[in-house]
Parts: sequence; structure tokens; C-alpha cells
Amino acid sequence: MTLRQTPLHSRHTDLGAKMADFGGWDMPIEYAGTVAEHTAVREDVGVFDVSHMGYTEVTGPGAIAWLNTVVANDLDRVGAGQAQYNLLCDESGGVIDDLIVYRIDDDHAFIIPNASNSDAVVAALNAAAAGSGISIADKREDYGILAVQGPRSDAVLAAVGLPCGHDYMSFAFAKWQDSPAMVCRTGYTGERGYEILAPAAVIPVLWDAVVAAGATPAGLGARDTLRTEMGYPLHGHELSVDITPVQAGLVWAVGWDKPAFSGRETLTSERAAGPRRRLRGIAAVERAIPRPDMPVLSADGSSVGIVTSGTFSPTLKQGIGLTLLDPSIAEGDEVVVDVRGRQARFTVTNPPFVPPHVR
Amino acid sequence: MVPEDARYTAQHEWLRETADGTVVFGITDYAQDALGDIVYVDLPAVGVALTAHSPCGEVESTKSVSEIYAPIAGEVVRVNAVLSDAPQTVNSDPYGEGWMVEIRPSGPVDGLLEAAAYRALIGEG
Repeated sequence: MTLRQTPLHSRHTDLGAKMADFGGWDMPIEYAGTVAEHTAVREDVGVFDVSHMGYTEVTGPGAIAWLNTVVANDLDRVGAGQAQYNLLCDESGGVIDDLIVYRIDDDHAFIIPNASNSDAVVAALNAAAAGSGISIADKREDYGILAVQGPRSDAVLAAVGLPCGHDYMSFAFAKWQDSPAMVCRTGYTGERGYEILAPAAVIPVLWDAVVAAGATPAGLGARDTLRTEMGYPLHGHELSVDITPVQAGLVWAVGWDKPAFSGRETLTSERAAGPRRRLRGIAAVERAIPRPDMPVLSADGSSVGIVTSGTFSPTLKQGIGLTLLDPSIAEGDEVVVDVRGRQARFTVTNPPFVPPHVR
Repeated sequence: MVPEDARYTAQHEWLRETADGTVVFGITDYAQDALGDIVYVDLPAVGVALTAHSPCGEVESTKSVSEIYAPIAGEVVRVNAVLSDAPQTVNSDPYGEGWMVEIRPSGPVDGLLEAAAYRALIGEG
């Protein structure tokens, strides 16, 4: 299968990036090195190409009211010009995707789903929209997205002439070199930052300007270590059609009082009964790095769960992981991870592992 | 980067013989580059007898883990203690300060690739 390429593919290869298949896209994993790129985002500013992510427009009379009967979080918690973390569940409460919904006005929203789930999101929304007069359009080919993240991100946006300084999770429309652009105070790193959506044709020029303004190109390797330090879920690891928001600790991202949303009945029952497993963080007591699918054992050796994500934390300089654990395991407990046959001790934590600075 | 004064394995280890008959080995520049930022190096204990081409340790980076294979058979006489606190030395100087293990060979030092053959293996030159 031929891997898909973002508008920045030749920029990445020119920079000598290590490229790899990510959800069917040929994406940069790292340029100079994951740890240096991670540190640039935590302490200075970095730029990620996230043009592989989806872009879906929802339009029609009452589009927001309709969408609010489908997605789990309550879109009425935000107003026009604001973005919201949201979940699209199936009727069994499993998560088809976690996504950001941008509320433009009452009749217009757009949605950024994960790269590999974009088709499933479009299909599920199309199925739900049948007969409603709402139209769902997949526009991912037309746009690219840059994530400028880090404490110095405002200076970079100001230098390239884009709006900055607006509130966390709000967005602004702009013109950049005669092209429409949308600048949102969102991100996946735990640092203050922006995600810029612009037509595919202008994305390479915008990338060059952002890099010239001092942003360090950062790859998906650093994106993963940064989000893991924050405890942010990654679909396919901490969320899936087999993992519900109740299990993943995302009850805050569900509008429980709404009369309808996909998966409502199952999730309401599961919440009342208590989930059979819960997402927890683990931090290494000694030198060890947890990796996905490693078994987690209690101190007495019985199986209590599984690692869903794990890495070396460049900030803490220790192994950290996200796990789905038996609800009897609590914060502060010690568990053991089977690291390729070695029994490594970890402390159960409540993420984030590192304080966020998104605001 | 494949120095002429070392010999190599297809599992991306290099080794050099020392003046007093021991052998020092580590992983190649190609191997460290493929791994990315190295964050842990687990080495065998001094005194352990290594079997040729068998795993004797691990190198772990932010994104993956790889086993270290003994290039030849022998007894471990010294390991590079620097790597427990500064594993990134393997990235910055794989053939020098980033050496890993010194062994006393229990047999002939053979079955290895010369620099030119290793270069061909990794598609350089």
C-alpha cells in the first residue's frame, strides 16, 4: 500500500527526518532526536506537522443541536468561537474516536478526528445524519494543520503575522498571505500553543515562516512522549471501540444530562455500576520502561491489568506508562510490570506526570 | 561511520582487540542511529560467561528496545559504568566513550565482518 503524504513531505525528507507509517501516512518520527524536540516544546517552542489528521465539516440548519445528539460531550458548554474535546461513541459505549469540535455558529461546526479514524467518523456521522438535513463533508485533502507548541509559541505566531493571545480552547479566523487560516489555542503537548489550519497549498510556506521564526521541527516521537507525560489518551491505546470513556477516566467529557447521545444508555449504566477497569498512570520505582501490552501484576503476583502506552519521560528521566487496571488498584499502590520477563516495580499515579502549562 | 580499526557483526555490534588480549565491544553508529535517543543501557555483570551471538543486555531508546548480542564467547571483565548515568554517550560516541563490554575471549576471535563488508551490509559505500 502506498503511504499518503502531507503537503510537507518534502520538507521532512529535506530535514533528514526519520519517516514511518503512521495510520497509513508517511510521517516524521524525529528530526534531530526525540528528547531534544521534546525539550524544545517544554522549554521553548516546537512545530509539528499534523496534516494527517482529518477535517470534517458539519453544516445545515441546527447543525450544532443535531451534532449534540450524537457526540458525547455537551456542545452547549461552549459558545461560538470555542473548541471542545469530545467523543464519538458507538451504541455499546465504545469510542469510535476522540476529537475536537469547533463551534463556528449554530449551523456550522468542524471536527478534527484522528488520522486513522477520519473515515469511520465521517461514516458514523453520515449514518446518523440520514434524513436530518445536515450535511457531512470530508475536507481533509484540502487542508493542512500545523501545531506550534511551547512557552514561546505566541512570539512565533506574532512574528509570522497570525493572531495570538486568545483564550485556551478558543479560535480565531485570519488571512495569511491571502489565504484563510484558522488559529486555535489547542494542542496535545500540555504546553501553551496553537494549532493552525490552512489550505494545503499555503502550508509549506507557513511551515517555513514558523521555522524561520524559531520553532524547532518536532516529530511524532516527541508528540507521543509529550502527550504521555500529560496522560492524554491516544485512540488505539487508551481509547478504542472496546474501551469506554468511563473506563478511560473521561466522565468529564460526557454530557450526562443530555437527553440523547450515541452510547448514552450503556455508558450511564456502566457509570452507575462502576467500570470493570480504570485508566491509571504508573511511574517507575527503578529503571524500567513500560511498553504497550505488557502485563501488570499486583504486589502478590495476580494479574491486574495491562499497559496501554509507555515511554521514557524526558522531563522526569524515568519510565512512565498508562494502564488499564482493576478498579481495586488505587493511586499510590505499588504494582509490578512484566518487562520482558523482568519484574519491575511501579507506583500507581493519577496523571498528568508533569504539570500542564496550557493556559 | 564505520571505522577501519574495528570488526563487526551482522547484528550491528563492533569489537576491537586490546593489547592485553581482551576484546571491547559496543553497538555501531548505524545501530544507535536506528534506535534514536538511548535512555537505558543494561549490561551483563562482571564475571558472567557470554555465549557468542546470544543476548547479553539491552539498549532502550524513547521509542524502542533492542538486545545487545555478544559478538564472540568470553567472560565479562569490565562494563562501561558511565552508561548507567549517561546512556546518551552511545549516541554521541558509539565507537569510543560509548563502548559497552570488555570480555576475555574463551576461543578464537573470528566469524566477524571487516569494515568494508559491514559497510556493504548496511548499504554504505
